[in-house]
Amino acid sequence: MKQLVIDFTKCDAGRHCDHECELECAVKVFKVNDPAQAALQIKAYEDGGGHAVLCDQCGDCVVVCPSEALKRNKLGVVIIDKKVCVGCYMCIGFCEKEAFMRNSDWITPHKCTSCGICVKVCPHGALSIVDVPEPALRII
Amino acid sequence: MLLVNEEPLEWHDGMTVRDVLCARNYRFPMLIIHVNDALILKKDYDTTTISDGAVVKVIHLISGG
Amino acid sequence: MSQLAFDPSKVMDIDYTKRTEYLEGLEAIKAAHKVLKEITYTPSLPDRGYNNRTLYVNVDSLEVKEKPVTQQMKDVFIGGRGFGLYHLWNAVRPTTRWNDPENEIVISPGPVCGMTQYAGTGKSLVLSLSPQTDIPIDCNVGGFFGPLLKFSGFDALELQGKSNKDIILFIDGVKGIIRLEEAPTDPVDSHVLGEVLTHMYAENEADLPNISVVSTGAAAEHSLIGMLNFSFYDRRRKCVRFKQAGRGGIGTVFRNKRIRALVIRGPKVAGDLNHPADPETIAKTGIKFHKEIRENDPHQCMMRRNGTAHIVEIMDAYDLLPVHNFQYGSHPDVHKIDSSYWQQRCTQLTVDGCWYGCSMACAKGADGLVLKTGPYKGHMVTVDGPEYENTAGLGSNCGVFDPDDLLELNFYCDTYGICTITYGTLTAFIMECFQRGILNKERTGGLEMAWGNAEADLEMMHQMARGEGFGRIAGLGVKKMKEHFIKNGWGDPQLINDIGMENKGLEYSQYMSKESLAQQGGYALTNKGPQHDEAWLIFMDMVNKQLPTFEDKAEALYYFPLFRTWFGLNGFCKLPWNDVVPANNSSQPEAHKVPEHVQNYVDLFSATTGIKITKEDLIMQSARVYNFQRVFNIRMGKGLRLHDAAPYRSLGPVTREEYESRAERYDKQIVDEMGLDPTGKSSAEKMALHREWRTKRFSMLMDAVYTRRGWTLDGVPTLERLKELGLDAFPEVVEVVKQHLS
Repeated sequence: MKQLVIDFTKCDAGRHCDHECELECAVKVFKVNDPAQAALQIKAYEDGGGHAVLCDQCGDCVVVCPSEALKRNKLGVVIIDKKVCVGCYMCIGFCEKEAFMRNSDWITPHKCTSCGICVKVCPHGALSIVDVPEPALRII
Repeated sequence: MLLVNEEPLEWHDGMTVRDVLCARNYRFPMLIIHVNDALILKKDYDTTTISDGAVVKVIHLISGG
Repeated sequence: MSQLAFDPSKVMDIDYTKRTEYLEGLEAIKAAHKVLKEITYTPSLPDRGYNNRTLYVNVDSLEVKEKPVTQQMKDVFIGGRGFGLYHLWNAVRPTTRWNDPENEIVISPGPVCGMTQYAGTGKSLVLSLSPQTDIPIDCNVGGFFGPLLKFSGFDALELQGKSNKDIILFIDGVKGIIRLEEAPTDPVDSHVLGEVLTHMYAENEADLPNISVVSTGAAAEHSLIGMLNFSFYDRRRKCVRFKQAGRGGIGTVFRNKRIRALVIRGPKVAGDLNHPADPETIAKTGIKFHKEIRENDPHQCMMRRNGTAHIVEIMDAYDLLPVHNFQYGSHPDVHKIDSSYWQQRCTQLTVDGCWYGCSMACAKGADGLVLKTGPYKGHMVTVDGPEYENTAGLGSNCGVFDPDDLLELNFYCDTYGICTITYGTLTAFIMECFQRGILNKERTGGLEMAWGNAEADLEMMHQMARGEGFGRIAGLGVKKMKEHFIKNGWGDPQLINDIGMENKGLEYSQYMSKESLAQQGGYALTNKGPQHDEAWLIFMDMVNKQLPTFEDKAEALYYFPLFRTWFGLNGFCKLPWNDVVPANNSSQPEAHKVPEHVQNYVDLFSATTGIKITKEDLIMQSARVYNFQRVFNIRMGKGLRLHDAAPYRSLGPVTREEYESRAERYDKQIVDEMGLDPTGKSSAEKMALHREWRTKRFSMLMDAVYTRRGWTLDGVPTLERLKELGLDAFPEVVEVVKQHLS
């Protein structure tokens, strides 16, 4: 399955960039001019380094979704079908990586689709899309 | 001797909160435990030892259907 | 309690989509339907939780009309059980009985019902005059019917009248159609009927989850303990499943009206259909709670794995699990039917909420059961995973410890449309009567009703469904069986009355109250009868010793019944309140009330309706409805102190074996509580001492509870209390009470 990964030996957690990845995701994918709505969030630690909130396509949300709105596509990426989603937000509450997003204007949540738009704009080349085996579904 | 929920329980050296729960067969998972009025957190049940004469309160939360 | 390692390969050897098909005759059944009446209406969605109209249907005259929801209804009755009581009060007279045409079945969801962001928000309340108690009964039920009724434009559905042919009421909340159809050849039992009707009324496969069916089964026609099944479509299993409005015989009323089923087709559900005042607060509260479940449930109750069955072994460990008709509190075979077994037997890795967004997901399902008896012998079915009540009632209380037997009993109760709690308690009574010679094979028509004889137990249930033999007598319930056995001179009347576990005509649910005075009140001093949904105080009282005085017990029996009534006013489930708690709950003041969750409920109500309330207002909202219901009972000729009397089995040891099984505890009480010396006294003498002490104590509890509730010592709400609650605005209510105040 396609998975977005970040290399923190290259990413400096926004110290020398403008969070281009977040803005590009927000604008191009979700059509909002607000990086806080992006499906990945890069946070800097005070004492150097940082971490990224991003979806690894683990599939926990697929297991808990009561309306079967979340499914893997051909590339193994977990995609939300907004027409089927009932807006219960269990996917958000059960995401251990806290990578499922929501904003107050939309009734359905949103997430990373491993589309790679962010990869192209990272000035440090820290982001990439890799192909990894799908993990087995687990009981949650 | 300890007083656990107002009933006496024989004390032994090194007795932990967990030992009290076992002695009383308190198997319910949602408990609030005070030893001499000090709250003991679940993570400390195995390591908190109780001294002789202590007053132990094991509050079981409401359950049932 | 640690989380067990889970090995899917050991469990998932059952294909959970595999079961016997029932759709073959669908077209012929459909062709036999005849439209009796069809009207169109304008569908609507709620605004701030209310549609501001209800639907009235008379199944005899075929009258269908909308009724407005008044501001007074919302202010005083809120919704759910409140609306149900309001409509029922207006429909019946003091002389009305369950099988009179004016008796109604009211289904009412409540303003919060249909929310998808918080756990346990799909409940509706079902009310009727009960065939067992002759007073209003209320059931809090899951499934999709309630939410879809709201999203079709109605805050409640009233069903009145009696049809002379089998009918189906169909509400299409998308197209705006209400139709009454004659249904002459439909299947009778729920697991078949639900499946057939869901497919009949869905427009295509994607539409299946938008259909919900209310139905019952064959036993509801021949007993007084009929139950209603509320369906929901399980997308993963690809089958129709049910939640039950079980208590008090509403299924019996349903069939007495010759309603075969109610079918609703609602719009596709989305997260904002209630049009709440403050969706942001609802979203945040919901997500916070989902996280709490994810983090805490695996090391608290494991509701997502085991459902309510998690307390089977707990109750056994605390000597509180009913065994052999509430004689004993534990049994060495309980490990065969405890949650570690059900965890393996119920399909995991699926979604088990009975409404969207229920992250607690307690509705487990046991798949792949091949039935051994009855009309569906050989069929492969999915059984509602036994909940605690079923495991205790059908299992330990009757001495049945074989899990497959228990599943089969559970399955047939569900599809025949009878309450598992009621059936468990009445069968336990029959088995004890059999043990004590009050019954024998001659009197049961050949049924060997010995403890644990599941074969005879199942045969009695099949008889109940066929309306034959001893099953028909059993289906009258414990109260009428007691009268029948006594009239026939089959045993000592006092013994029969002592061991028949009913109060107000309703059977006890499955907890041992003998050693907890507060729980004795929690069962008997209730509005509808002995049911643990008003107050469950055994731990607080008996184990924690948190309620040492009568006043403490009375306070708990004031607060908890009111707090828990509130769930039913709004369409909430009670379980998410206390079957998981925040990690820091233990350091909160009044931790036993789970204060963070109480605040969640306050916030969810305010955010839905736009009416800001506090936790004190919440209690006040309940108090209005609770006292209205008490007055309703009085209006129906019940609801007084004498009707709150409890069978002695619920208060103390009836038999010598019972006494001797806990002799140490009981002897100590003679010393500590009565100040007497048990030495040299016979068990009979000691039992007599206990009986006197325990009966007196229960009477003192009644005094304390009535006083705290603002009632007279005869259990009648005082005029001052009614005024305080604003119920003096209803002259009829005041009139009922006045007749009992002098």
